[in-house]
Amino acid sequence: MVKLTIDNKQVEIEDGATILAAAIKAGIHIPTLCYNEELTPAGACRLCVVEIVSEKDPVTVSSCNYPVGEGMIVSTTSEAVIKARRIAIEVLLAQNPNSSIIKKIAGSLGIEAGRFTIGKDCSHGCILCRLCVRTCQEVVGLSAITFEAQGLERDNNGAHVAWDEEACIACGSCAFVCPTDAVTTVDEGDKRIIQTPTAKMVFALKACTKCGSYYAPEKQLAYMAKTANLPLEKFDLCMDCRD
Amino acid sequence: MSEVVFSSWGGQIVDNRNGQSTVDCDVQVPLKCGSNVIDAFMSWDGLVINDKNINVVALARAYIKEAAKLACGECSMGYSGFQLISGLLQRITEGHGHEGDVELLHELVDAVQKNVKCDYCANAVAPLKDAIKNYRVAFDNAAANTEPIPPVEYVKRVTAPCQEACPIHQDIPGYIELIRNHRYDEALKVIKRANCLPGVTGRTCVAFCEKNCVRADYDSALSVRALKRVPSDLGKQKPQASAIEPKTDKVAIVGAGPAGLSAAQHLAKLGYVVEVFDDQPIPGGMTFAGIPAYRLPRSVLQNDADAIAALGVRFHPNSRVSQLEDLNAQFAAVLLASGAHVSRDSGIDNWEPNLNGLTEGVKFLRDISTGKAIASKNKVLVIGGGNTAIDCARSALRIGCHDVTIVYRRSRSEMPANDDEVEAAEKEGVKFVFLAVPVKILALNNELIGAECIRMELGEPDSSGRRKPVPMAGSEFTLAADMVLTAIGELADTSILPINKVELTDWNSIKADKHGKTSLPWLFAAGDCSSGPASVVEAMAAGKRAAMGIHGYLSKQSIVSCEDGQLCGGFHEIGLSRRRHGSVVVPKNRQYPNEKPVSERILGFEEVEECFDVQAASREAERCLRCYRVMLIVKRQG
Repeated sequence: MVKLTIDNKQVEIEDGATILAAAIKAGIHIPTLCYNEELTPAGACRLCVVEIVSEKDPVTVSSCNYPVGEGMIVSTTSEAVIKARRIAIEVLLAQNPNSSIIKKIAGSLGIEAGRFTIGKDCSHGCILCRLCVRTCQEVVGLSAITFEAQGLERDNNGAHVAWDEEACIACGSCAFVCPTDAVTTVDEGDKRIIQTPTAKMVFALKACTKCGSYYAPEKQLAYMAKTANLPLEKFDLCMDCRD
Repeated sequence: MSEVVFSSWGGQIVDNRNGQSTVDCDVQVPLKCGSNVIDAFMSWDGLVINDKNINVVALARAYIKEAAKLACGECSMGYSGFQLISGLLQRITEGHGHEGDVELLHELVDAVQKNVKCDYCANAVAPLKDAIKNYRVAFDNAAANTEPIPPVEYVKRVTAPCQEACPIHQDIPGYIELIRNHRYDEALKVIKRANCLPGVTGRTCVAFCEKNCVRADYDSALSVRALKRVPSDLGKQKPQASAIEPKTDKVAIVGAGPAGLSAAQHLAKLGYVVEVFDDQPIPGGMTFAGIPAYRLPRSVLQNDADAIAALGVRFHPNSRVSQLEDLNAQFAAVLLASGAHVSRDSGIDNWEPNLNGLTEGVKFLRDISTGKAIASKNKVLVIGGGNTAIDCARSALRIGCHDVTIVYRRSRSEMPANDDEVEAAEKEGVKFVFLAVPVKILALNNELIGAECIRMELGEPDSSGRRKPVPMAGSEFTLAADMVLTAIGELADTSILPINKVELTDWNSIKADKHGKTSLPWLFAAGDCSSGPASVVEAMAAGKRAAMGIHGYLSKQSIVSCEDGQLCGGFHEIGLSRRRHGSVVVPKNRQYPNEKPVSERILGFEEVEECFDVQAASREAERCLRCYRVMLIVKRQG
């Protein structure tokens, strides 16, 4: 166990835990946009920045992926933290000025309108937080969504998130976790439509053999049957028609 | 340097704009590139202005535009921060600046330096901060002015400390980034651009990159070599179509080792008809004959070679070339890349080649590689301290020898073998006798029974910088053995050279320049046969340079030696590993690939090291600090 102090509160937490986990344990709120306790932290949104004041030269770090240290003294409200958070949310606002969650966090930091605009079209709303990528890999167990970073000679499209329609099972988890609704899912009749920032994907839904209602994507059921090692017939009935 | 107009290089300000600066600057940024004077230079560690007419705002605009392309997108502050900075500079230089723009720029630069995920962006914005701070009036005027500022003409170089240390200059941060995101096919494509042996080097490379990894300053270097193996194992190779028109000139390459294969790949890509002759059954040269299968499975070697054959290169295995001049009749140029396979004379008294159990190390390894049966012995002595000695010792264990001892004349810390190889040998039970050297072979009734050794002490440093071992008089002792292997270095076989027509070096290797040119115009040489025994990756680099030399010779063009993205002149001296404004490094332990347990692995020649699994590879790749350095160079016109 490691003992540290966050905003003058003593916290004890297991070695290897992050500062954010310790803050949550101590009941201290830190704003986040790309964090989910079930997933590997990405450090993408930079909102969870805190200041480690016990360092000789105090430094700001992202609390979601920075490990706690014995005797560490952390501030979540220092001047440096507030300044860093405000500009981080302004940058996010420039990326997606319409997102309600971003506007809400901006408001909580006292920012009504950002000072920055990105020249190019960013109406797709994706802020590259990669919650969808991590969910698909770490929770669903697939790699149907990849992050295509922008690096040497890959600068034509810029950084973006791409869906592999073939590998996708249409479970919709990506839409569920997306904080900015840049990916959405909607069921229309016998189809599930997943709209990503760059493409529209349409998947067939399976009808319950008893009541006839469309209840889940066929690909998802096939994936569940395969991973649970069950015959596909086990998934013939919808949840309501099962015993 | 003190004559420059302005420099903030390395954080040291030299300002000669108003009279002479009193500060003398010793930071080395070359002010010449070839015959061109450099008027301005901007990179992660500052800006250098060598011509007072350079418009610093236009320079900064160009630099940021290029630097923004390398912001990866993993954090919004870096990626969008750079886009916003670039956008602000664009409108300022186009004459559409707003009041307060320079202050906004300043705020963004500060935020990017302090709150980004990795090192790249934090360092890359540093020179803009210097520019704004020291040329504030120029920025304010530009923002207020409605006249556009003409853009500067520049050349760009992108490298990284690891990339620069690699003899073949692979885009290491590039493929690591792709591995982090599970994009193995593309990672393999990036690797193959510079490296025709991804499977071989992913297992055996000495990894100069790791020794130059900036991360080592914080916890430990990345496992670059093991990471490179991942795309080679998991990625799919797509045949690369050559866009170049085929040429009629034929090139013969003697030796299918790393130098020959690398040259073959580059020449084939240039459109030449390439044929490779080798006396062994499988391509690979010393990587086949000298590196045991437990480190490099033969299928991996064959895979890498097959990909080169797919480019149209024709292989002639089991084909020993006896005289190079015979080849010259059929081929416009010949590259000798035959390696160094001849053992040095051991200098040990009583060394009778016919005595059962006395073998040269490379021959022992070659016999195992080619499947010859070798009887196991009880007590084995291996003489030497390099990788060949370790390979001999570990192979001896695997053919059933129980007691294997390496005798090395210096101490452990001077051993030229890779540390991880030495550790693996220790784990497997190989014993070491340091500071000793065998001086006489002992035999009884024509049976090898051991070696008389003498203790050494370390004296003054020799030409290699290592302390020279000196025998201690009267310290002789005996080590029992029924097998003695020598691994004290190898030489090139010069018997296939035209007699007296090719100049040799003092150590009996072929004299060749940087591009492989020998004293005969049609003959080129690369790799161990010219440099003496070196690493796989150095041989590959030599093979590539020789390919450029051959291309220059056959096409009668000057050799392009400075490629885009590769540093030349004095630029590799500018201290790439320095971080100006590093982000805070999140501590993370280095991952190592799993290994087969010792009890299992010494039973045979199955591969010891496993490939990283997908998650471990991502975790390790996540540790990369992305130390790309974007350099903007403005050359003087005319």
